[in-house]
Amino acid sequence: MLSTLKTFYQNRGLLLELVKRDVLLRYRGAWLGLVWVLLNPLIMLGVYSYAFGYLFQLRGAGSGGLPYVLNLYCGLIAFNIFGETVSRAPTAVRSFPSYVKKIVFPVNILPIVPLGSSLLHAAFNLLILAAALAWTGHLSAGILLYPLFLIPIILFALGLGWFFAAWGVFIRDVAQVVPVLVQISLFLSPILYPSSIIPAPLRPISDLNPLAAAIEAQRAAILGTPVAWNDWMLSCLLGVLVALLGLLFFEHSRDEFADVM
Amino acid sequence: MSSQDDIAISVRNLTKTYRLFRSPTDRIKQALTLGRGKFHDQFTALRDVSFDIKKGETVGIIGKNGSGKSTLLQLICGILKPTYGSVQVNGRISALLELGAGFNPEFTGRENVYFQGTLMGFSRAEMDARFDDISAFADIGEFIDQPVGIYSSGMFVRLAFASAINFNPDILVIDEALAVGDSSFQAKCMVHLKSIQKKGCSAILLVSHDLVAIQNLCTRVLTLEDNHLVCDAVPEQSISRYQTELSLSATAAFPVGHPLRQGPQRFATLQHMSVMNVYLEAATQFAMGDRIVIELSFVCHEKLPAGRFGVTFSNTSGVLLHDFASGFSGVIGFAAGCHTFRITTGPILAYPGRYFLGAWIQHSKGVPSDDRFGSVLAIHVYDGGKVGHREANFSGIRCSNTEVYLPCSFEKI
Repeated sequence: MLSTLKTFYQNRGLLLELVKRDVLLRYRGAWLGLVWVLLNPLIMLGVYSYAFGYLFQLRGAGSGGLPYVLNLYCGLIAFNIFGETVSRAPTAVRSFPSYVKKIVFPVNILPIVPLGSSLLHAAFNLLILAAALAWTGHLSAGILLYPLFLIPIILFALGLGWFFAAWGVFIRDVAQVVPVLVQISLFLSPILYPSSIIPAPLRPISDLNPLAAAIEAQRAAILGTPVAWNDWMLSCLLGVLVALLGLLFFEHSRDEFADVM
Repeated sequence: MSSQDDIAISVRNLTKTYRLFRSPTDRIKQALTLGRGKFHDQFTALRDVSFDIKKGETVGIIGKNGSGKSTLLQLICGILKPTYGSVQVNGRISALLELGAGFNPEFTGRENVYFQGTLMGFSRAEMDARFDDISAFADIGEFIDQPVGIYSSGMFVRLAFASAINFNPDILVIDEALAVGDSSFQAKCMVHLKSIQKKGCSAILLVSHDLVAIQNLCTRVLTLEDNHLVCDAVPEQSISRYQTELSLSATAAFPVGHPLRQGPQRFATLQHMSVMNVYLEAATQFAMGDRIVIELSFVCHEKLPAGRFGVTFSNTSGVLLHDFASGFSGVIGFAAGCHTFRITTGPILAYPGRYFLGAWIQHSKGVPSDDRFGSVLAIHVYDGGKVGHREANFSGIRCSNTEVYLPCSFEKI
């Protein structure tokens, strides 16, 4: 396992190059090019403001006066990292048969590539969020802690990413199932709503959701309310476990990738 | 241990079996039983292969399709994991298993070459130093800054080949990559491979069906047959063994109902053909300048007073190089029934390579053939170092720009 982690370090240049390609490829040939990286989240924020802020007139409960839209946006940034990485995982390896079969290639970095590009998108989203917070007068130093709270989410995304990437090579159905699972986890996590509205009897179950603690911690940091560090620590540990298990499963099955692709 | 140091590749008892699942459900069942169940069939692609390759050696691998050549290369490169046995590799491998594998069609030639460099572990600065050599070798001009997707297959090959050989690999693995590209580029690759050989520090592993190239380049040839290593010897020996195996059989029947067989066969039907050397031993390999002896049998369904036949000699592209027509020798007219003729050719003045023998028969002059088939047997012409009594040196030259060699002498006056 240690030697696997070492190969990640050795191949960091390659990983960076792959992420660059992944992002460039998405916007290559588009007239506005990389402007879309900024434009996409802006449009989404506009639509949310119109639907939830203007039409529904939602003021999130327990959000300390923070407009619902920004509350939602804050959770979505974190969730999109998870969602994008995991939903692209089933094809992360499968769509590069030549890397697996025709050249000597560290395939275990392939599931990290979607994470890399989703982190880049998240960075731009965060800039927009910061600007919007400043605009509405809610910007606090707490936002600097934001990246810290992404750690458990990144670890989860990686673990599940490796897991589904390996499965995706063998069984095509995984590519159909995973986006549905991601959609479900969006609604089961406190993103569209604060966890305080979950009825008490369901709390012990919803607390098991490793994404929840991280997302709640982010909100708390941005609002300047006390952060539940214990919960965050716990989900970090859980994240490490999931990431290691996912990687272990991937390494166990990768010997057979070339045989079936 | 010093003898170990000059070993580039060491292969021991290498075996590869694939698990074949009849359906995806079987694969899930297999996974759910944690490998304890048996829901699959096995297919062995390579069985118990062992050999060592020293630094500086150029080793060819030949064998029919499906004999395990590519599996062997993939195992050596570490792309596949052996089922049993081991592969030990000393040094950096550059593999051309499939041309431009790893090239992304959306990116330009330049970007792809740099990416290839990153894959090989080179830094950007190291790549900057190499790039000019690569682009000069590929020689595709300003296309280097166009997306690879718009390249012609020739340009694609040139760039892929250029980048693979310019990374100074310790071990260069090439699978059928030389077959594409025009003859001048092939010649350039040959020259470059020879110069790598001269330096003597890299091992080259070459899979090819082009036996002439194998003979030209390799110091040693491995033959795979039915997933076994059956021959590990000098090129001449391995190639001749392979030729025998390669249904380059010296006798063949004209195939019934073959799509390329022409003619109504109303008056006559070609039956079979065999090929021999001048000592009347079955043979499929001839040195340039050798005579070929051909026996051809056919059946005349009725008396053909003006009937005539011929034996054709054509190259692998189907170009007819010569027609040994019976009419030229005054052999005209056959009784009804079965006939066998023995034809002895003059010295064969074709360049080294593979050629096809065929035959035709017609019921009178100037009408379409009544039966005709152009490739019933294949023969291999090799460079014997001389043609007739004259010295002739063709090594390293691929003479595909002319079809026929005419012996001549040069005197300075």
